[in-house]
Amino acid sequence: MVIPAPSARRPIVVTTVVLAVLVALLALGSLGTGPVKLSPVTVLDALFGGGSDVQQTIVREIRLPRAILGLAIGAILGLSGAALQGLLRNPLASPSLFGAPQSAAFGAVLMIALGWADVRSWALPVAGITMAFVSVFVLLSIAGRSAGLLLLILAGLAISSLAGAATALVMNLSANPFAALEIAFWLLGSLEDRSFRHVQLALPFIIAGAILLMTRRSAFRALSLGEETAQSLGVDVGRLRLLVIVGVALGVGGAVAVTGTIGFIGLIAPHLMRPLIGHDPGRLLVPSALTGAALLLAADIAVRLIPSTTDIKVGVLTSIIGVPFFLYLIVRERRALGGGIA
Amino acid sequence: MPSSRAKREGPRRRFVTLGSILCLAIAGPSFAAELPRLASINLCTDQLLMTLADPAQILGLSPYARDNARSWDAAKAAQFPLLSGEAEDVLVLKPDIVVAGRYTKRATRELLKDKGLNVVEFDVPRSMDDVKKQILRMGDVVGHRDRAVAVVARLDVAIAHAREVAARKQYRVLALSRRGWVSGSDSLTGALLSAVGLTSAAKDLGLRTGGFASLEAIVSLKPDFLLLAEGSSFAEDEGRAFLLHPALQRFYPASKRLVVPEKLINCGGPMLAEALDRLASELERVER
Repeated sequence: MVIPAPSARRPIVVTTVVLAVLVALLALGSLGTGPVKLSPVTVLDALFGGGSDVQQTIVREIRLPRAILGLAIGAILGLSGAALQGLLRNPLASPSLFGAPQSAAFGAVLMIALGWADVRSWALPVAGITMAFVSVFVLLSIAGRSAGLLLLILAGLAISSLAGAATALVMNLSANPFAALEIAFWLLGSLEDRSFRHVQLALPFIIAGAILLMTRRSAFRALSLGEETAQSLGVDVGRLRLLVIVGVALGVGGAVAVTGTIGFIGLIAPHLMRPLIGHDPGRLLVPSALTGAALLLAADIAVRLIPSTTDIKVGVLTSIIGVPFFLYLIVRERRALGGGIA
Repeated sequence: MPSSRAKREGPRRRFVTLGSILCLAIAGPSFAAELPRLASINLCTDQLLMTLADPAQILGLSPYARDNARSWDAAKAAQFPLLSGEAEDVLVLKPDIVVAGRYTKRATRELLKDKGLNVVEFDVPRSMDDVKKQILRMGDVVGHRDRAVAVVARLDVAIAHAREVAARKQYRVLALSRRGWVSGSDSLTGALLSAVGLTSAAKDLGLRTGGFASLEAIVSLKPDFLLLAEGSSFAEDEGRAFLLHPALQRFYPASKRLVVPEKLINCGGPMLAEALDRLASELERVER
């Protein structure tokens, strides 16, 4: 086991505290943003039961669940990204590049299109989690143990394209004449007009997934020394892989079932933290989760501030930020990718 | 935009009148066998056709005609052939007149006209007067003006009744659909509300023909009632789930929701009499 030097701990503590404060401020900012203008004082007052019943309803039943979901989903996406990157020792690993959110959306849409379930029922997260599990499992099976970057990216691209197309097709084939708007929701993701019913649906799975991934931190650290070393340190790599897939599926599937596909948070968050925290995948988990939460909360505030005639989907914004970042990472990893071809 | 629309409307009106006079001229001296045979490629003209024409006159209806949620007389539509809504099967049928909506299927309409078919187009009505004019116009087109006059009379009775019920109090009503779509005052739903003397709350949101409103804006607007197309508590998709959001349920439980099914209110035609009766009975229900 690698024991971090005491001097290395300080920046982590400082970074974590700064990030936690930032997330708290953004969560408050999320409560203060919306189509109805409310002053910060009014918002706080309404949050704790003051103000008119309309103000209370706006803050506590419309904005609070949205802020909670933004925080929790951003965090689980950041954490999943860090966990996958740690597991695969691969900087381009992330749920959305592996097609996990897209597959989860397909699972959820299937439940709706078949008319089996209300969109606010447990069937949606369960179907989402199942499909997310299948997609990541299939991807890692295809890629095998010592997968190169290129193989993972290509297989992930194939799975996410297939899942996205299947989502659209299933909605088109259903009797629903409003399929186009519904497809937009599931493919692009949105936190708009969520309620505590949605928090109730997603949060248990997100927490379970987070616990599962967080408890693997020492295994990730051991794994960063190489698979054989990890095994000699008592890490069962096969079991670890399975547990990480389950953790990611629980978190991502639960999240997508209530907000649709929100991509790239899991890719960006760990990379933003590496220069500050270092490359220890175990230590990256908590800061990556906080960064993910901050990113999604900020993106969700931005979509409400950008003037537009119809709502901008938050997944659009995370992709607009995420894809250039992804391209930048590819350029940086060009040599490794080129090696993959040769 | 309105001026160019008026310009386009001029010659078409003349054309249509000419067409209907021609039909009447042919139908006049002889009997029912000479009445024009028609095909419809629009859900709303389907309804007018089924109400006013003889069954023998109807060659085919639009694809949604048998949709129970959207088509008012879906049961009657079962006895007529269903068309694809595209040009091909209409061309094969060779109807004397094709009835269509003015804002949909432009390419299909153009193609049918190019092939020499008589295409009669019906605008989206924005007032009860528009609706009555359309009913009478379809009566002329199918050669049964007497039936159209009876339908209009039935509509007037329904308006008077609903007006009487609504006049007891000044209510502000917001017509709300899936995902927060609000029908403006300058729409068929808005016309229905104003015809019975209800105030549409949409104009306080700055919406004339219609638009999306956020949950927060609706809750702050505080209309007396919501006018919805469905009263069930099952959310088959995210758009429906909007109407079942706890914040909306808190201020607008079932006792604050006027439910008039979509198929009664989505077209200007005979179904509006039923919609008005329904609106009146809903108002009586929520007042209790």
